[in-house]
Amino acid sequence: MLEVQGLHAEVNGVEILKGVDLSVGVDETHAIMGPNGSGKSTLAYVLAGRPGYEVTAGSVTFDGEDLLALPAEERARRGLFLSFQHPIEIPGVRMDHFLRAGYNELRKSAGEEQLDPLKFDRLIRNKAKAVEMEPAMTKRAVNEGFSGGEKKRNEVLQMAVLEPRLRILDEIDSGLDVDALREVARGITDLSVPGTSTILVTHYDRVLSYLEPDQVHVLINGRIARSGGRALAKEIEERGYDWLEAGAGV
Amino acid sequence: MTQHATVTGSWSEQFRRFEHNGAEISPAWLRDVRRSAFGDFERLGFPTARRGNEPWKYTNVRPIADATFALAEYDPDVSAGIDLHAYELPCPRVHQLVFVDGHYEPGLSTEPVTEAGLHNDVLGRHGDGPVVGRLADAIEYRVPLVREHLGRLAPAPGNAFTALNTAFLRDGAFVQIPDGTFVPEPIYLLFISTGAQAVVTHPRVLIAAGADSSATVLQSFHSLDGGTYLTNALTEVVTAPGANLRLCTLQRESNDAFHIATTRMEQARDSRIASVVVDLGGRLVRRETATLLGASGASVSLNGLYYGAGKCHVDNQTFVDHAAPGASSNEVYKGILDDASHGVFSGGVLVRPDSQQTVAHQVNKNLLLSSDAEVDTQPKLEIYADDVTCTHGAAVGQLDADALFYLKSRGIGEDVARNLLVHGFVSEVLDAIEDGAVRQHVEQAVAGCLSGSR
Repeated sequence: MLEVQGLHAEVNGVEILKGVDLSVGVDETHAIMGPNGSGKSTLAYVLAGRPGYEVTAGSVTFDGEDLLALPAEERARRGLFLSFQHPIEIPGVRMDHFLRAGYNELRKSAGEEQLDPLKFDRLIRNKAKAVEMEPAMTKRAVNEGFSGGEKKRNEVLQMAVLEPRLRILDEIDSGLDVDALREVARGITDLSVPGTSTILVTHYDRVLSYLEPDQVHVLINGRIARSGGRALAKEIEERGYDWLEAGAGV
Repeated sequence: MTQHATVTGSWSEQFRRFEHNGAEISPAWLRDVRRSAFGDFERLGFPTARRGNEPWKYTNVRPIADATFALAEYDPDVSAGIDLHAYELPCPRVHQLVFVDGHYEPGLSTEPVTEAGLHNDVLGRHGDGPVVGRLADAIEYRVPLVREHLGRLAPAPGNAFTALNTAFLRDGAFVQIPDGTFVPEPIYLLFISTGAQAVVTHPRVLIAAGADSSATVLQSFHSLDGGTYLTNALTEVVTAPGANLRLCTLQRESNDAFHIATTRMEQARDSRIASVVVDLGGRLVRRETATLLGASGASVSLNGLYYGAGKCHVDNQTFVDHAAPGASSNEVYKGILDDASHGVFSGGVLVRPDSQQTVAHQVNKNLLLSSDAEVDTQPKLEIYADDVTCTHGAAVGQLDADALFYLKSRGIGEDVARNLLVHGFVSEVLDAIEDGAVRQHVEQAVAGCLSGSR
């Protein structure tokens, strides 16, 4: 589904990604782990198409299509979704208006009929209930005044509505207590219909007990220093990143 | 002095003709008021940005001074051809007065006001609703409120445009809400400019809200087909104790028009005014909104939205006079400036020495959509009491790049995303319109304006 080869990227002229290779197949869950500043979030942003993140070499294909040639909105319409580590507050823009706009853009690009406000209202209410969010929240401004947990749950609601095929979850567990994390993880698991793949970007092993990865990759200084199974994450939890950093020549 | 004389010369000629032909209803007191006001205008001349003239620092009315505008003639054929559909409020009942090029249009208005009706209301034996009628009728029937307030709230000696409006005072709208009366349906004053010729109109409105009364008044200024013309509007508002008055102004003049609007309000004890002004059109717009909080417990909220495109210049000046203890004011003005437009906001707040326990908040935020757009914003707080809560803030910025990316990462395209953010920016102001039908009407106008611009 997603093929990343020799990816180099800069932010403000500073090279952050220095040759990343990654292959994510259908129905797979991959964890990208790494210490602060290793380039985890940069990788997530580059895949989602954030302006200011400049790819200087390498390629990324999504279902065989050149992902890097597409603007952010087209990537989303192809089925890619980035869950933000810090979801953005947008005063004055109502959640349901925002999500209806996104939902209808996806329908339009899939050649399907758009939903009118009434029908969409029914849809979002059901989706909100499914992810255990108070439907009244969807009448509020996007993320404005939301707690950390509410913001993350809101990202899950957006996934429930937009039904992406590739989900990149950037530090989905940050700011969540254990109960909130369990609920958010359950929401994500419930949405994992066949054909869905997931990239978990995380500093800690914690979230991996709830969302089991098929593969774990450790990003050190802009490169994947090591890949392995679930056991690799456990080893990092016990030993930290130092031993891998030493191996990567940092 | 020579230059001065040329600037006011064509106006003097016009005033002489007006006095002879146009002033069909002219009690002696009104003739005196007009003549005196014209004298004020001749003395003042049009304001210039000369040193020390702070209120006109950023706004140059030279294009108005240099142009010649004729007084609009009444043409019933033009009015007959107007389709009001586009201006209708989405509610079953309104009290509606329509003026076309400054002339009252009975065929489009809903409110025939009789002499008996006016007198009943004046005497306090009101029937079941507000008085919404021609100012000319109220003058003719000698309504005491008119004589008492007209020209008192907005004195001519201080302001050339006010002086001009009063000098050419002939008609307009008179709104009186009797004591204790709640008016559920909006009162709608619609001023349409045909734009057919370079005319000047001087729309005049007097609103008197009785004790413990409650009403919504919408003033709306529109152009039919573009054109260069001058609207010089003046509104005087007085509230009795406990009144709750919601005022909304929607300005959608032609993109070549000049729009000068002055609103002067005076508030009694425990009265509340909630004002929302929305400027979407005009080439040169100057709007002054001022209130006197003259007794304790009076409160005002002043909200504004201004949108500039092309080379439009839009200037909002507000002034709140806290002249009594325990009064409060809250201001939120937001500007969206595109292309090479220029916005100005000046927020004056005066807290007089004995006005303890004053609460005054002011915010002005501006969104620049183009690198050629400009804004000048300045709070002007003068505080002479010590036990007060006063805050002010101003901001100028572009659309939030992080928010834009967030929207796009959900599949929303650039144009729709920008539109959502711009609407999010203005929603705070529009949400301040309490009447649902008026809010919906204004929201549609704003949406049409913002989507048409990109």
